[in-house]
Amino acid sequence: MIEYAWLIPVFPFLAFLLIGLLPKRTLLWENGAGYAIAGAGGALVGGPEFTWLIIGDYEVTFGLWVDQLTAVMLVVISVVGTLVVVYSGGYMHEEGVGRRRYYAEIMLFISVMYGLVISDNYLQMFIFWELVGLCSYLLIGFWYEKPSAASAAKRAFIVTRVGDIMFMAGIIILLKYAGTLNFEELFAQHPQISAAGGPISKEMLTLATLMIFGGAVGKSAQFPLHEWLPDAMEGPTTVSALIHAATMVKAGVYLTARSYPLLIQTPDSLLVVAIIGGVTALLAATVALVATDIKRVLAYSTISQLGYMILALGAGGWLVIEGNEAGGYAAAMFHLMNHGFFKALLFLCAGSVIHAVGTNDMRLMGGLKKHMPITSITMLIGAIAIAGIPPLSGFWSKDEVLAAVYSSGEFHAVFFVLWAMGVATAFLTAFYMFRMWFMTFSGEQRSEYHAHESPKLMTVPLMILAVLALTSGFALFIGSGFDSFLEGSIEDLGHFEVLEPGELAVEIFTDPLTYVSIAVAVVGILIAYRIYFMAGFDRSVFGRGVSGWFQKTLENRWYISKFYDDFAYKGVYGLSLEADLFDRYVIDGIVNGFSYLGANTGNVMRKAQSGNVQRYASLIVLGMVLLIVFMLYILPWGGW
Amino acid sequence: MIPIEYWVIFSSLLFCIGAYGVITRRNAIVVLMCIEIMLNAANINLVAFSAYHTTLHGVADTSGQVFALFSIAIAAAEVAVGLAIILSVYRRYQTIDVDKINILRW
Repeated sequence: MIEYAWLIPVFPFLAFLLIGLLPKRTLLWENGAGYAIAGAGGALVGGPEFTWLIIGDYEVTFGLWVDQLTAVMLVVISVVGTLVVVYSGGYMHEEGVGRRRYYAEIMLFISVMYGLVISDNYLQMFIFWELVGLCSYLLIGFWYEKPSAASAAKRAFIVTRVGDIMFMAGIIILLKYAGTLNFEELFAQHPQISAAGGPISKEMLTLATLMIFGGAVGKSAQFPLHEWLPDAMEGPTTVSALIHAATMVKAGVYLTARSYPLLIQTPDSLLVVAIIGGVTALLAATVALVATDIKRVLAYSTISQLGYMILALGAGGWLVIEGNEAGGYAAAMFHLMNHGFFKALLFLCAGSVIHAVGTNDMRLMGGLKKHMPITSITMLIGAIAIAGIPPLSGFWSKDEVLAAVYSSGEFHAVFFVLWAMGVATAFLTAFYMFRMWFMTFSGEQRSEYHAHESPKLMTVPLMILAVLALTSGFALFIGSGFDSFLEGSIEDLGHFEVLEPGELAVEIFTDPLTYVSIAVAVVGILIAYRIYFMAGFDRSVFGRGVSGWFQKTLENRWYISKFYDDFAYKGVYGLSLEADLFDRYVIDGIVNGFSYLGANTGNVMRKAQSGNVQRYASLIVLGMVLLIVFMLYILPWGGW
Repeated sequence: MIPIEYWVIFSSLLFCIGAYGVITRRNAIVVLMCIEIMLNAANINLVAFSAYHTTLHGVADTSGQVFALFSIAIAAAEVAVGLAIILSVYRRYQTIDVDKINILRW
């Protein structure tokens, strides 16, 4: 079976070609559903491999790598991708001819995303990595007539490019010092990678893993490269759901997880990974507290949850090194899967609301519960899931993440701090999610609109995703459990303890930490209920004194965005002005001197010119033909 | 292994198509595209002979590939410069018909 895994990206690619190239004015392929849902992969590694190009004695081969990690990604991409395409049938209905471009780009995205997760070496992955970036750029700028959308697309492209360059630097280091980019060869050389010219030094490997993680920072919108993701909300909501919540931004997490056999050889890198994840989670969650744009709340929440996954990977690495246990790794991927479902659900619900109300601003919404019952209930399910209330999916994975971070605290004290940040984030998450829900669906209608429930084409995907958000957490208990399933993909790294599902449930519910995370979530929801649902709370108290200053900082997104703008404007632009002076007076001075000389010479020579470039080109070709005839026929005939 | 003659004939045809376009087309952008076709014909030759070296001697001759990469990079720069020139020509004359732009003469 596994040999046919290469067919997975082929189907959506065919759909892309059909939609994009067929000369149909009638949009026959409107729903573009011509792609199959990918099956879950097995534990085998292999499949066809072919040589793409040969450079000196190094061969670049393309191949397939399908293991449990890939399978998790494939499930998320195929399920969310299919539902988003169906939903788009309703959401993008009024777009007219633009729909064709939209579906073609979505299909291309799904295809290259599949390609990314089944790549068997870093270079092949990098190619698909850039392709998903391209699709993201195209789809953010889908409404390119709008200046804000066009500039958001450019920003997303440029910021992720910073990460991509680091990723490429990491690839180059690996190629130079380890001699191969193939996962199997790289990981088989564990624990000491021996290169063609000797073992790679620990420092070099640390640098390489840090650089590769830099790529993940860019793609998964981690601090300090996270500011592009909220801006990316300029694209259609379906795009935000598919690319900027469920799949593409997970590519960074996937890359980090994929590089695990390298990362666990470099504890320093893992520490950086964990710290960046923890900082991102808390930072993004605080900004989400004050966002008034419904999609931006979800965008910051996505960044924050991605921070969780990165944090779990970083902390989990120490667990693997010190405790020979893959809990953090499995928790991160488990959270990735659950988050894919509930965040896609939340985004699609937000899309349904925006579709009905015609604005993104939550201050203008309110009271939508009676107009849009299905959307409000499914979104409530999504909000409860992300807040981490049992037995919904978010609870299981978030609890696993926090437990992994806490237990790695015994190896390095930093992880206790990160755990505290994670718990704080859980509290903030519950609060801002319910703030959003109450502001949107409860209370009085705050502006003029005639809201109505979305068509079936949109509500059915919502209901399916809501069921997934309710139940996907129980994957923890299927068979011998999600954790042991996933640990199959890194089993070479050591032996892992496998718990029976029953014991696992007992362990989760006898651990006091579980109740800490439930308690903070409940408190967060109750505070949101008090402030945003019950009448008579004066919200202006937040605008005064220290909290007013804090609110202002948050509304300006911690001034990070401003810092980048200032840096680009004052720093780079100032430097460019200096360079411009040099260019104008020194370089141009020399050039003008020469041109003066040339002008005078040309004055004499100009008589030969007619000014028609194509005549010159014809004369050159004619001269060349004459020369060839002369050399091939006249010269031999003359005896040379 | 495709015989070397096929590559040479293919690249000559490509070159002639490009040269024909450069001479006959009126639109400066199309002329620029034709120049790209000619450049790529040369690249095909470089890579084809590099591969031919392998069949002759059993050792890959990398310099052919490297030359092709260089010329691709230079072609990219050339397009950037060419398009910039066309853009400024268009701003000045409101046309990119190469027949009309003939003041570069005595």
